[in-house]
Amino acid sequence: MAQNFDVVVVGAGPGGYVCAIRSAQMGLKTAIVEREYMGGVCLNVGCIPSKALITAGHFLHKMEHNAPEMGLTLPGKVKVDMKQLQTWKKSVCDRMAGGVEQLLKGNTVTILRGEASFKSATEITVKSKTGTESVTAKNFVIATGSRPIEIPGFAFDEKNVLSSTGGLALDEKIESAVVIGGGYIGLEIGSMLSNFGTKVTVVEANKGLLVGLADAECVQVVARKLKKNGVDVMLEAKAKGWKKSGKGVEVTVEVAGKEQTLKADKVLVTVGRKPNSDQANLKGIGLAIDEKGFVKVNAERRTNFANIFAIGDIACQPMLAHKASHEGVMVAEIIAGKKRAYEVKTVPSVIFVDPEIAAAGMTEEEAKAAGYTDLKIGKFPFAANGRAVSLMETDGFVKIIADAKTHIVLGVHIVGPEASNLISEAALAVEMGARLEDLALTIHPHPTLGETMMEAAEATLGHAIHIIQKPLGGARAGAAQRPHA
Amino acid sequence: MATKNVQLPELGEGVTEGELVKWLVKVGDKISPDQPVAEMMTDKATVEVPSPFAGVVKEISKKEGDVVEVGATMLVLETDASAGASAPAATAAKPEAPKPAAVAAQPAAMAASAPAPAAARTSGGAELYPPVADARVLATPATRRLARESGVDLNQVRGTGVAGRVTRDDVMGSLGAGAVSAGTPSYAGGGASALQAPSISRPGYQSPAGALDERVPLKGIRKKIAENMQMAKHIVPHFTLMDEANVTALVAMRSELKSVGEKHGVKITYLPFVMKALIATIREFPMFNASIDDAAQEIVYKKYFNLGFAADTPNGLLVPVIKNADQKTIIQLSREIGDLAKRARDGKLALDEMKGATVTVTNIGSVGGQYATPIINHPEVAIMGMYKIQEKPVIKRDASGAMSLDAIQTMNFTITADHRLIDGAVAANFLKAFITRIENPGVLMLDMI
Repeated sequence: MAQNFDVVVVGAGPGGYVCAIRSAQMGLKTAIVEREYMGGVCLNVGCIPSKALITAGHFLHKMEHNAPEMGLTLPGKVKVDMKQLQTWKKSVCDRMAGGVEQLLKGNTVTILRGEASFKSATEITVKSKTGTESVTAKNFVIATGSRPIEIPGFAFDEKNVLSSTGGLALDEKIESAVVIGGGYIGLEIGSMLSNFGTKVTVVEANKGLLVGLADAECVQVVARKLKKNGVDVMLEAKAKGWKKSGKGVEVTVEVAGKEQTLKADKVLVTVGRKPNSDQANLKGIGLAIDEKGFVKVNAERRTNFANIFAIGDIACQPMLAHKASHEGVMVAEIIAGKKRAYEVKTVPSVIFVDPEIAAAGMTEEEAKAAGYTDLKIGKFPFAANGRAVSLMETDGFVKIIADAKTHIVLGVHIVGPEASNLISEAALAVEMGARLEDLALTIHPHPTLGETMMEAAEATLGHAIHIIQKPLGGARAGAAQRPHA
Repeated sequence: MATKNVQLPELGEGVTEGELVKWLVKVGDKISPDQPVAEMMTDKATVEVPSPFAGVVKEISKKEGDVVEVGATMLVLETDASAGASAPAATAAKPEAPKPAAVAAQPAAMAASAPAPAAARTSGGAELYPPVADARVLATPATRRLARESGVDLNQVRGTGVAGRVTRDDVMGSLGAGAVSAGTPSYAGGGASALQAPSISRPGYQSPAGALDERVPLKGIRKKIAENMQMAKHIVPHFTLMDEANVTALVAMRSELKSVGEKHGVKITYLPFVMKALIATIREFPMFNASIDDAAQEIVYKKYFNLGFAADTPNGLLVPVIKNADQKTIIQLSREIGDLAKRARDGKLALDEMKGATVTVTNIGSVGGQYATPIINHPEVAIMGMYKIQEKPVIKRDASGAMSLDAIQTMNFTITADHRLIDGAVAANFLKAFITRIENPGVLMLDMI
């Protein structure tokens, strides 16, 4: 006898579990199927563990570089216990994943552990160690996420060739690593390893780092810091293959038509992620999938089957946990009969490199493409912020792009300390259609990093207090209002 | 045995749902393809919904009185296996996205046999209405949600806030919900009223103790009429002007033309002449063929003439529309009036045949009554009434001033107008100009196309 539900969510990542909880809150009989981890990639091998390790690496870096200047010295060099680091990291993940399970149970969501496979639009099988059971539902939500892309010649073995998962599981120090892919995952893990003393070489096929992922000026700040911290970056370089060499690897890279080899302990391949649409027999039941592998959905995240929805990484870009969660809540409410659609103005993005990059809203190019011909762009540097100076983290700035005619804030780009925590105010400003004056006239508490947002708004209007608007802007109608080069 | 879902098909342009008035089948009935299974009321028409398949009714998924979305499952048929195999499930597909809860196929039955999914399928997620707000629309997330829940297309709302911001009030205004409290309904070009039911109090009725009465649901066309009338009266300040016309010449002309019409197999009535005179007069007074877009604070002058005419039917008042009436001859108009009126009585009008009128004529006089004060069919701004023809005595004076009695044919006309747009004197001049034309039907020839 098959179990029957109003809603079955397939995948317990940040899209799926949120969707299941809201479905249950809406009074729908809900189940969630998970084959591996509660909380998905995000909580177990993605966002959360990487942030734990990045925090530790940053802490170490500060102990080594900032503490002595503050008069704090250790008797010797800081000793790093990689095994304990992994234990702590795991405790962070387990705590979060355990919390997810508690929340699901507390909301009376039935948890089905196993591998889901669609039999029809209204039935799946769930295969686990204990057997295969049939589950029927009126509605399904596919939230099965994505996985790292493999490139030819670099099959993941997680010993020599690591994916992000392997890169976050290293329990002993490695002397050197080649990171293929200068996107956000590669740079986050690469910088982290570098902080722990690994000699990192980033191999990137594009002309720059984080291409298409962040404002180019923000990336410059990070690129400078990488160089300062001893990370080598090879641009317009193509990884051709690798072979075992002693205990490590030898990676062949082609730059400007010439091949060269890089020796390292490990090679990490972080060239992006692809949707898991080839799994769960999605194609077998006729679910429409686009050429990039995303399940085709409309603004309700409804697929070509009216009772099947897809959310998160498997549905569309951007592949970000918070977008998936937003969609999860929305789809649960649609199933419960509410009128909803995905119509957000921005999905804020955060990149945990050093310093952090975060953005909400449009870039200058996007604003122009959307028809805003006359823009006001202003910046405020963290070097002029008291809190940043006291943190010894003065690299970076807040940059605001606004419509010159209406002063509506179109985009905010931050590179600097706690950019990830500062961006939410910008996201609210963009969603609310705030004007520069709204940001500038809101009292921001002193002394905080948040003051930079207020000052950046003032700078965009041409009159920030704590900078002489040169060369970042002109005090009178000049450079601050000039379209940004 | 396989099962198939019978879904509510497309009922007309822009129609997304209908009210289930009556089931024509019950569980256990054997039905053939194209057999009507239910009566649905949408907007103003009641239509019969056929089943695309043969089978035995296994389950009825909706109750009478339910509002059903296009594409939603109405009933489940048990079909024999061979028929199930030969007819691919995809033929049941509807481009519209059905309401999720109603979509669900019967899981148990599905598991038993159906190899292909019977749930509604589209090419990749149906298009939404209202469409997602454009990147340049300025509205807060809460306002965006309000618009979505209210079915308001933010892309079409003119924001009144700073820098064109669409406020909560703007959305409520487009909805027409604030119609009573100085709200601002918007005019949806060409279509029927874009308004939802206005938010006015709906007092109950408490029967006196022991009183004999019978309660029947207010539903179907009657409910729609009630809503439309109430809304029109709330939004439009009405006034009516009345006058009598000497239609002796018209009566003579019409009786002359009657036999010509018979040769064409067409019954010629007075209505097409009134329509022609009305159109000719409106050309002089274009505000009678306009609408008010309250949300945008604009007057919409329509450059085309779609004439609605009120038809009494066993189901209630219907208003079929003659499209581009100005481009049709008296014979064509007569034929179309006859055809539409017959189909209105038979309940066979398509929805599109009752939409998009720019001005309406009511011929209540054919039943009786000297005068009436009709209600304007919002978002139109005028309705003309024509009443029964009576022979009356009039005093005639000859050149010498001598009086004598004469018998003439008279017909009363009324023009009811939206006082927001049309002043009393304008309406008086309009009616005078109209009567001049109808009293001298030969003059109408001058305006003919």
